[in-house]
Amino acid sequence: MTDFTDNLKPRYDGAAILEAERSASVLGIDELSKHLLSRDDFLGRQEKVLKVLRKEKLFNKDQQLNLSRPERYHLGLARAKAIRRLVRREAWDHEDYKMAEYLNDEMSPFHLHMTMFVTTIREQGSPAQNKSWMPRILDYDIIGCYAQSELGHGSNVKGLETEARWDPVAQEFEIHSPHLTASKWWNGGMGRTATHAIVVAQLLLPKSSTAQPSTTDSENPSRSHTTSEYVPYGPQTFIVQIRDKKSHQPMQGIAVGDIGPKYGYASMDNGYMLFDRVRVPKSAMLSRYAEVSDETGALIRRGHPAVVYGSLTFVRGQIIMHARHVTPFSDMNWLVLARAVTVAVRYCAVRRQFQDRDGVAPTHSRPQDEVQVLDYPTVQIRILPLLAATFALHYTGEYMYNLYHQSRRTIEEGDFGPLAALHSASSGLKSLCTTIAADGIETCRRAMGGHGFGGGSGLVGLNADYLSKPTVEGDNWMITQQVAAYLIKKTTECVQNVASATQDPTEELLKDYLRGRAQHTPPSFLAADGSIDDDALVQIFRWRAAALAYAAYQARVEEKKPWTSLMIQLHNLSHAYSYHILVSTFRTALSSSSVTSLSNPTPSVLRTCFRLFALHTLSQSASSFLLTSSISASDLQVLDAKILEVMGELRPHAVKLVDAWAVPDWLLDSALGRYDGKVYEDLFERAHRKNPLNRTTFNVDWRSEEVVLGSGDGGRQLLAKL
Amino acid sequence: MAPTPDWVKQLKPSGPQGSELLAAERGQSDIHVEKLQELLLTKDVIERRNKILDILKSEPVFDKSSNYFNGRMERFERALAREKKLQLLRRKHNWTTDELRTASEAVGEPGPYALHESMFKITIGEQGTPEQQEKFLKPATDYKIIGCYAQTELGHGSNVRGLETTATWNPEDKTFTIHSPHLTASKWWIGSLGRTANFACVMAQLYIGGKSFGPHPFIVQVRDLKTHQPLENIHVGDIGPKFGYNTMDNGFLLFNKVKVPHFNMLGRFSRIDPQTNKYVRQGSPSLIYGTLTWVRSNIVMQAGSVLARGVTIATRYCAVRRQFQDRDAPPGEKGENPVLNYTMVQIRLLPLLAATFALHFTGKGMMHMYQENQKRMNGSGKGRESETRGAGPEETQAGSDILADLHATSCGLKSLSSSIAAEGLEVCRRACGGHGYSSFSGIGSWYADYLPTVTWEGDNFMLTQQVARYLLKSARSVLSGAKPSNETTRILSDFRSRSEIGCAFDILGSDEDLVSAFAWRASFLTFEALKHRDDNKKPWNDLLVDFYRLSKAHSQYLVVRNFYDALKHGNIGREVDATTHDVLWKLFRLWALHTLEQEGSEFFASGAASRHQISLARTNAVMKLLKEIRPHAVSLVDGWGFDDWVLDSSLGRFDGKVYEDMFHRASELNPLNGVTVDPYPENEVLFKKVEPLAKSKL
Repeated sequence: MTDFTDNLKPRYDGAAILEAERSASVLGIDELSKHLLSRDDFLGRQEKVLKVLRKEKLFNKDQQLNLSRPERYHLGLARAKAIRRLVRREAWDHEDYKMAEYLNDEMSPFHLHMTMFVTTIREQGSPAQNKSWMPRILDYDIIGCYAQSELGHGSNVKGLETEARWDPVAQEFEIHSPHLTASKWWNGGMGRTATHAIVVAQLLLPKSSTAQPSTTDSENPSRSHTTSEYVPYGPQTFIVQIRDKKSHQPMQGIAVGDIGPKYGYASMDNGYMLFDRVRVPKSAMLSRYAEVSDETGALIRRGHPAVVYGSLTFVRGQIIMHARHVTPFSDMNWLVLARAVTVAVRYCAVRRQFQDRDGVAPTHSRPQDEVQVLDYPTVQIRILPLLAATFALHYTGEYMYNLYHQSRRTIEEGDFGPLAALHSASSGLKSLCTTIAADGIETCRRAMGGHGFGGGSGLVGLNADYLSKPTVEGDNWMITQQVAAYLIKKTTECVQNVASATQDPTEELLKDYLRGRAQHTPPSFLAADGSIDDDALVQIFRWRAAALAYAAYQARVEEKKPWTSLMIQLHNLSHAYSYHILVSTFRTALSSSSVTSLSNPTPSVLRTCFRLFALHTLSQSASSFLLTSSISASDLQVLDAKILEVMGELRPHAVKLVDAWAVPDWLLDSALGRYDGKVYEDLFERAHRKNPLNRTTFNVDWRSEEVVLGSGDGGRQLLAKL
Repeated sequence: MAPTPDWVKQLKPSGPQGSELLAAERGQSDIHVEKLQELLLTKDVIERRNKILDILKSEPVFDKSSNYFNGRMERFERALAREKKLQLLRRKHNWTTDELRTASEAVGEPGPYALHESMFKITIGEQGTPEQQEKFLKPATDYKIIGCYAQTELGHGSNVRGLETTATWNPEDKTFTIHSPHLTASKWWIGSLGRTANFACVMAQLYIGGKSFGPHPFIVQVRDLKTHQPLENIHVGDIGPKFGYNTMDNGFLLFNKVKVPHFNMLGRFSRIDPQTNKYVRQGSPSLIYGTLTWVRSNIVMQAGSVLARGVTIATRYCAVRRQFQDRDAPPGEKGENPVLNYTMVQIRLLPLLAATFALHFTGKGMMHMYQENQKRMNGSGKGRESETRGAGPEETQAGSDILADLHATSCGLKSLSSSIAAEGLEVCRRACGGHGYSSFSGIGSWYADYLPTVTWEGDNFMLTQQVARYLLKSARSVLSGAKPSNETTRILSDFRSRSEIGCAFDILGSDEDLVSAFAWRASFLTFEALKHRDDNKKPWNDLLVDFYRLSKAHSQYLVVRNFYDALKHGNIGREVDATTHDVLWKLFRLWALHTLEQEGSEFFASGAASRHQISLARTNAVMKLLKEIRPHAVSLVDGWGFDDWVLDSSLGRFDGKVYEDMFHRASELNPLNGVTVDPYPENEVLFKKVEPLAKSKL
């Protein structure tokens, strides 16, 4: 359709503005992109896969936000299937496939099949089980999901209600849901898609067995009449067929379905599932680490019981990597925060509002022009620290990647020692990083004013989809207890042996504190010449983490305060500890050869990012740093002025720094965040030409029950749908 | 879809039932809930509301059971049907404007008539001449014409001076030409405009003989009254899907040299003399600022109840939801703990619960101030008919003018309270754990629909400049020796007079001192900012972050002050029982001390509190208050009196049947479960079978 609007131009030329921004900074973008995104040829792969997806109409995102929930699932399944067919047609490897999922940018109904389902079987299945299941999984002959959380139970696996009762006579397990709250709930891909599920259930064995029962839940009076004959052995994993291969209807004794609409994740069929005494063979229990003995009917355990939770640690690891970005397994499902920051920085460079009160025109604008909102400190203070945070999360991601692989090797050699440290670092970082990213997306969205609320921001779906992260796999508040418990234990050990040598970085942190606390004065982050002392910044973060750990130790171990009353303190401890990891690893990365070898001014701009991230965090939690004597009152006085100064240094590079994250327009799907700055043209295009609501004319007179003008049905069709 | 099997129907949630848990919660608090409801809402309003709810529940068009499943088109279509029905019911039952608003709130979604009812009619009423009111307001009241208010543009939000749409005066035929010179001039975000309105009140830059006279309002017909198609040279439509607000047709609008008669410029405060072609100012538009101020006071008061909805849901669910065993529980005591017993759940929810009351009483206090102001304006005989143009709020005499004080106050409080409510809702959602992410929690969509409040009526960050500007002016007047004439100058003078002696507030022992500490910190930040601006000559732009903090500090002071005054001087002692009054005092202390502890470094830097006091507030006082308020939490949220039909939440049900309701909605109301899919990638078939739901009601 053509009309007079075709010839209208925006008053400000967004393309010219972004061009000017880019030429005002000499940062080498390609080099920085490669530095950040070279693992597994990320950039090349992105280009290759994008080229294919772009051509397929099915992956066009224009109408997504207008669709209803059932339509979104329909589309989600169509795309998931199409991607599998593309994998075959294009001969894509697994990394290519992951890239396609990342670019497709919605939760695939197959997602759990290729993550938790396959990983659990690989890690917890015996060699025989692996041999029997793996080919069918990889061929998508069966489609799996992972059924752990229940309607009444989330993070606490010990509280799960689903039972797996061993029948020694028939040599079968009976899977059963004794209550409504035992219903599996939230399990991705289970609602409509999966044919098989890994079911996490409490193993019950007849009392005559000779193995030691689990001590946690032995005599629960609320259990059914069989309590006297059966003893619980804690949660185990079972592979269960839940739908018929042909008809795709639920198997006998299973009630399974989708749990309904959510805040986001519209394309994914999160499910519920109940069992009515469903029988599965002995081979259904994944038995690499535990098995019911053929002879005695007793439970034989191999290795460390914590491995049963290994899968969960794995998923947590992945989520942190989503939040920042580099994940060892799904390299692509990340960069979320960088995406939000990219949109916000570009749009705030193009958007203008109000004239400068002092009348000093900033660079490249006519005197009577409104100011680029990115020049407002109130906008900078919201966006630039998040821009800095994308780099902080990146380098911590690298650190976690290494820690994970190191620990994994040790664990595979049979030493479960590093598990506690890995678990606590991953829990703490998961909690902090997902919170930074989720809040950061929302902050970016709001910093864009009214248009941030519109579908054209590209952050509407991103925000909604990402917001599940702070609560899945252990509420962000709940899991911080595990970090704190670990640190209290470590502190207790260190207090007893202050003088002995340190075993690991955490001990070093704690012992430095214990040795230094008698004559401590907080270091100043300002060097004698007024410049910022980066090492002092790290010291300040270290000191706060250690001081809070020691305070928690005192409260819990010395004063024996109730755990529940300490939870807030423990939560703050976990965050302080994780922040110290973020700041220290960022600082360390700055001195690494991979950064120092970058051409100028990249290393110094990265240093500015580091400073902004650290100083802004200091300012956000000033009370906490002050109360632990980590920072001096005089440093506090100059803190805000320093932040303003550092933001001023970063501002000219902002547009190029987000360019370095190389998020393609196709993925951003954002009018506001377009690479070329044609913000207003695109917003208008979406509203005017791509909006189905504009194809309907309504009858707005309240006296008439007809809703669509000329339909003549008096609103009956609508009522029928209610 | 196959009907639910019997063995599923027979299942009950494990452990103590939700209804028992909530009954126990209610049993352990002797707060008189009905009295508390009457204090917050008044008896009269509660009775009217209940009558309206009964009417709405009996009409099938208001059935909410498919709301969470529908797409944008269906949502909008349904919303329009509901709006129409509301108008029908309004006539039938002779509803007042307040009653209609109550009904709209109970329906709980922004409707396509909303901007007609509010902005369109109000603007004509306030800025139209009697003749214009006759011509436009009358048919608008009868819904013969349906309007909207078109100010914001694609490229321009809060800054009306930057608007691009032009209205050029044509002396030869005594008309205006309304025109959009650029794409960025397109009206954008305009509620009710996209598909519904046939008229718009358009804000456009007035040009006479090539000279600009700034933005003015024009009444423009945009659609044909019969065909409902756009008029010639007008391009209008809906702007597409949004984060929330999808039941509303926010619209765009472009003009290609559209002529409107001289009559259509709203002329109460300014007009063009058609004979001389001269621009004539008349009356004082400061009343318009009065309306804006009233709108903002409303936002503050609403913020309390908006947040209360999320807090109600989260508190009830956290009383029912149990997770983990208490680490310190004696060996005999097994079973998981209600998560509301966890201090880290309490620290998130209870200060928000306190905030609902703090914002409510603050909004009430502002309304009171607004009415005082109206009385004063009407009494002085000046105001609307004055010959000289009244000053805008920035130009009025600080320190003596209630209007300025109220305007500044309303800006800052609007910013603070809507941020508290929006962020608070998200905290509530997350405090519900995984289930908070389900649409059935009822918080997500509520949050999404509330979010625009954070940016409209002035972006929360931008608005704070106005507060700072006002505070700096007040501080300058105090420095010049002017006598304090209102609350703001009083606290600034007080601070000034003690600058050589300092302060020593007993923030943990005295409620009055606690209020004073907030005043002290706000005053300290005011004079600091003034020093930066006047002595150090810092650019305005560099101070925006300081101003934001200053505004926040000052607004927090006002919340604490209003909450304190309501409890200390109001009639509360007579309206509620002693326990309730006592718990309200605790909520006051919790909000104040929790805020103080969060902003500890500013209180420390200003000298309003010592490091030791802040540390004690954090580790002792706040913890003790959490413990004391905890038993009353469920009764306190009951005090807000939300009907289950309004909450539309599985987690927040009054009877605690959380899990039964979640399951019912998932398995019986969910259309996706009527679908059988072909999951195998090699088959192109997606849905093998689509059956209607076996629908049943709870």
